[in-house]
Amino acid sequence: MKKTHLNEKQKSILFSIIAVLIACVFLFPLYWIVISSFKVDGEIFANPATLWPRQFTLAAYQEEILSIAIPFRNSVIISCSSMVLCALLSIPAAYGLARYRVPGSKGFLMTFLVTQMLPASLVLTPLYLIFSKIHLINNLLSPILATATVTIPFNILMLRPAFLNCPVELEDSAKIDGCNVVRCFLYIIVPISKPAIITAGAFGFIMTWNDLIYSMTFNTKEELRPMTANIYTYMNQYGTQWNNIMAYGVLLILPITIIFLLLQKYIVSGLTSGAVKG
Amino acid sequence: MKNKFYLNEHQRNNLNGYMFILPALIFMIALIGYPTIYNFIISFQNITAQTISNRFHQFIGFENYRSILSDPLLKQSFLNTILYTVGCLVFQFSIGFLLALFFSKKFRLSKLIRGLVVISWMLPVTVTALIFKFMFSEGNGIINQILMNLHFISNPVNWLTNGSTAMWSLIIANSWIGIPFNMLLLTTGLNNISDEVLEAASIDGANGIQKFFHITIPLLKPTIMSVLVLGFVYTFKVFDLVFVMTNGGPVDSTQVLSTYSYKLSFSYFRFGEGAAAANILFMCLFVVALIYLKLVSDDEVM
Repeated sequence: MKKTHLNEKQKSILFSIIAVLIACVFLFPLYWIVISSFKVDGEIFANPATLWPRQFTLAAYQEEILSIAIPFRNSVIISCSSMVLCALLSIPAAYGLARYRVPGSKGFLMTFLVTQMLPASLVLTPLYLIFSKIHLINNLLSPILATATVTIPFNILMLRPAFLNCPVELEDSAKIDGCNVVRCFLYIIVPISKPAIITAGAFGFIMTWNDLIYSMTFNTKEELRPMTANIYTYMNQYGTQWNNIMAYGVLLILPITIIFLLLQKYIVSGLTSGAVKG
Repeated sequence: MKNKFYLNEHQRNNLNGYMFILPALIFMIALIGYPTIYNFIISFQNITAQTISNRFHQFIGFENYRSILSDPLLKQSFLNTILYTVGCLVFQFSIGFLLALFFSKKFRLSKLIRGLVVISWMLPVTVTALIFKFMFSEGNGIINQILMNLHFISNPVNWLTNGSTAMWSLIIANSWIGIPFNMLLLTTGLNNISDEVLEAASIDGANGIQKFFHITIPLLKPTIMSVLVLGFVYTFKVFDLVFVMTNGGPVDSTQVLSTYSYKLSFSYFRFGEGAAAANILFMCLFVVALIYLKLVSDDEVM
């Protein structure tokens, strides 16, 4: 048997082709919802299935675009507020844990690591009872607070390594020039860690945007539901109108897909450090 | 007087450190620490729809635990959760590992495509669940059509309304979410293995398979362990996917611990029992998390 040896360039091309094929198979579900959202009712379950709509229609989008206005607004309010809250708390904490060896800092880090592993169901019942006592049920604040408990530890673990890599000399020389700790943090550390901080913001936004359980449990009023909770109730009511559901789904994932594509490089590297350990 | 109010360098440093850390810590204690303890208390109390507005709740000892432990559904949910977790881990780890081996090779589109598939991990699980619910539709659903064209099945399968296949549909959907996560962490691990070690082995006459089992795998062991433990934790606490795709059905064949707890608390309003079920779920995860922390702290990185 003759062994064929490929040179580096041929190898690279061959591997790239295989990689594209893998991506096509793996991303097929995404293609399928996008394409199904442009089909008419009769074509959704056509046999054989059509890979491209025979009859291209925007009807599903025209029907959905009005009904998503309020859920979209709620999703934006919840995600943006939660993102800001998470940034305000997690950025300084990550910096503090990176720069200062205070007593207990190792314990704090462990705590954040463990809270990330907690199931939402564990705090769901108690948070519901607490929120109903302080009248936060049916209030947008409840999912904002609850989702921040997920994003804060994630971001702390993701940002700490970034702050560890900041040169200490920069801060020291600023301090000699009379810069206090807070100014130093705001005017030196934050600007030079901009990529990491933007990634943290993106994670805060995406993870909150994706939340279903907190919004669904704490807010039972329809006008307070974000898109995730709304599409779920919608599915239970109109379970067979798959083109409409898929159109809704596409609109729901559109913002995070855009964020993801823009920040792909940072998100991928942030994911590995945030999800594992600080 | 002066001495009393001036802190030394070390104390001032600590004070600054706490100033940065404490806000986040207090927030987490208030919204995670306290609820965790409160959940523990609730699980010993009689809190139902009727008693929720009472000022004080009756302490009933292990009554909630006794009643859910005698419920056959708890045992079934537990077994379902285990089956689901093990099934997902097998799929997502093995496929993730194969992809990691492939994508750790250096070629042109490697990084780009590896990054692109991560999108399945970033999508809202609600939408992923709906996509798979759609694809697993009975009759002419796309998965039925593909499998029939490949002659794996001769008749359409009612994936989600059949007790024996519903769990498999969930496992496949979740593996789709989990594969990129496994792949990413394993690729990072693979890239950390220095080429020199592998080259040295080649010079000593080791072939590809020998190198894989005697060098790559042992050096990758810490990464493999943390991928498996993290995968276990994230899979074991599944909620959204099951809730949206099957809601525990058909006839509780896909009921898992978190959906069981949710049902007790928010469908039957038996908050005490829901809290007890959540606590059982927590205990399972706690044991695994302890193992993980042990692994992490043995690692010198921390």
